[in-house]
Amino acid sequence: MAKVIVVTSGKGGVGKTTSAASIATGLAMRGQKTVVIDFDVGLRNLDLIMGCERRVVYDLVNVIQGEAGLNQAMIRDKRVENLFILPASQTRDKDALTQEGVKDVLGKLRQEFDFIICDSPAGIERGAQLAMHFADEAVVVTNPEVSSVRDSDRILGLLASKTQRAEEGSEPVREHLLITRYNPDRVTSGDMLTLDDIREILAIELLGLIPESEAVLSASNQGVPVIHESASDAGLAYLDTVSRLLGEEVPLRFHQTSKKGFLTRMFGGGGRR
Amino acid sequence: MSLKADTADVAFTFKGGMLPMTIMELSSADPEQIRQQLQGKLVQSPAFFQHTPVVLGVEKLDAPNLALERICAVCREHKLLPVAVRGGTDPVRQSAWALGLGWFAPVESDRARRLASVAVDTKEASTPADGPGGESQAADQQQHSTPAPDDQQSASTRLYRGTVRSGQQVSAAEGDLIVIGAVNAGAEVLAGGSIHIYGPLRGRALAGIHGNLSAGIYCRELKAELLSVAGNYKRLEDVDLRLLGEPAQVHYSSEQLEIKPLA
Repeated sequence: MAKVIVVTSGKGGVGKTTSAASIATGLAMRGQKTVVIDFDVGLRNLDLIMGCERRVVYDLVNVIQGEAGLNQAMIRDKRVENLFILPASQTRDKDALTQEGVKDVLGKLRQEFDFIICDSPAGIERGAQLAMHFADEAVVVTNPEVSSVRDSDRILGLLASKTQRAEEGSEPVREHLLITRYNPDRVTSGDMLTLDDIREILAIELLGLIPESEAVLSASNQGVPVIHESASDAGLAYLDTVSRLLGEEVPLRFHQTSKKGFLTRMFGGGGRR
Repeated sequence: MSLKADTADVAFTFKGGMLPMTIMELSSADPEQIRQQLQGKLVQSPAFFQHTPVVLGVEKLDAPNLALERICAVCREHKLLPVAVRGGTDPVRQSAWALGLGWFAPVESDRARRLASVAVDTKEASTPADGPGGESQAADQQQHSTPAPDDQQSASTRLYRGTVRSGQQVSAAEGDLIVIGAVNAGAEVLAGGSIHIYGPLRGRALAGIHGNLSAGIYCRELKAELLSVAGNYKRLEDVDLRLLGEPAQVHYSSEQLEIKPLA
């Protein structure tokens, strides 16, 4: 059974696209046939992070409006087998998406793929609501920050009321919490919310915790999903996250302050890689 | 085959339905007085004024003529939609129809009858002959009437399980609201009666929204953005720091909100 998973957050800039790219890549690396769809029409970013921006011909809006077929619009990933990208349009806006059109596209993809990852735009408007509407599961991306947690809370409210599952009254959308940009040092010093604070407020199951890492920025600038950087702790954390999404039990890591040696503290020790 | 054709030809069907309806029982015919009271209510519970249809109950008014048009205008200004009038004299009925409103015959509710009979009893109590009979009748009526409000209350108590999230609003218009879970920041819980939260209260809680001063708010962990009982409110800023994060109860007492530990 194909699963539609929306990666959403409410707030912008928390790492939705980074997470959608890495989760989709990770699932494909585990042999699952996966497509990742950019719903951020007008502000397309996913193709950049996936490193396929030069191969975009047709996009989601073209497919919905019948100007191109799905197979024409989907881009096959060069690094991982079984991974496809359906980019967003840069020139249209979110009104070009229709609920019927999205339903139709997802229906076709469901027959072909194991996982369909929907990268939601920020906000709670039409674009974000369409991205989540047909989801079976949701990954709610949250930063350890008060405003991000509140926006995620709002999104969880929408997931429970505005999705197809909620409207039909069938089994609710399964919600997962993914905390990104977590910096244990700053949590200890009180600059960031603790893991427990976030879990207590949002009260949903924790899927993963991605530490703040320089690898994320450099990877996205190079167009490589950070999950490929298996030497970085962010890459490892995404691998763990994907394993948990596939139902495996993996202990949590990177949530505690690392014990730094005297010399590292003196000289900074460079970035966390 | 013929059935299908039938349904295709039919533009509508009449169906009997029972809809919950708010009755605005007028005790004054003065539009200005109504306006003032509505303004107060609107501030307390804006959520209840979303073009809510109401039936104007005018049974209690003696006036043979009513400034119905002005009363309706005041209601509409406050996002209440009068859809019908209940009770009143023939001129009232005629003007209701003229305004495009429906008219219902006055309902002889138990309560109205009871009040009438109690009034009669007290009057008659002065005449010794009827004294004992009148008294026993009054007692009967009271016994009859006591269980009724209780039933109503338990029927309108609302139980909500789970987290009330930012942007969500959960309300029990008439009775108590019980939340088994947290009320998060940015969420709002409202009740005509009291609010009981078996979890942290981080959002806004408004009890006694119809003016019930004896309503209360109870929670396991007080971090509320706003607490209000019958329109008397306190913000998080006004709350004693020692009470924050503690189990607490909120009541209206000596003309202000009193927040105490729940011990």
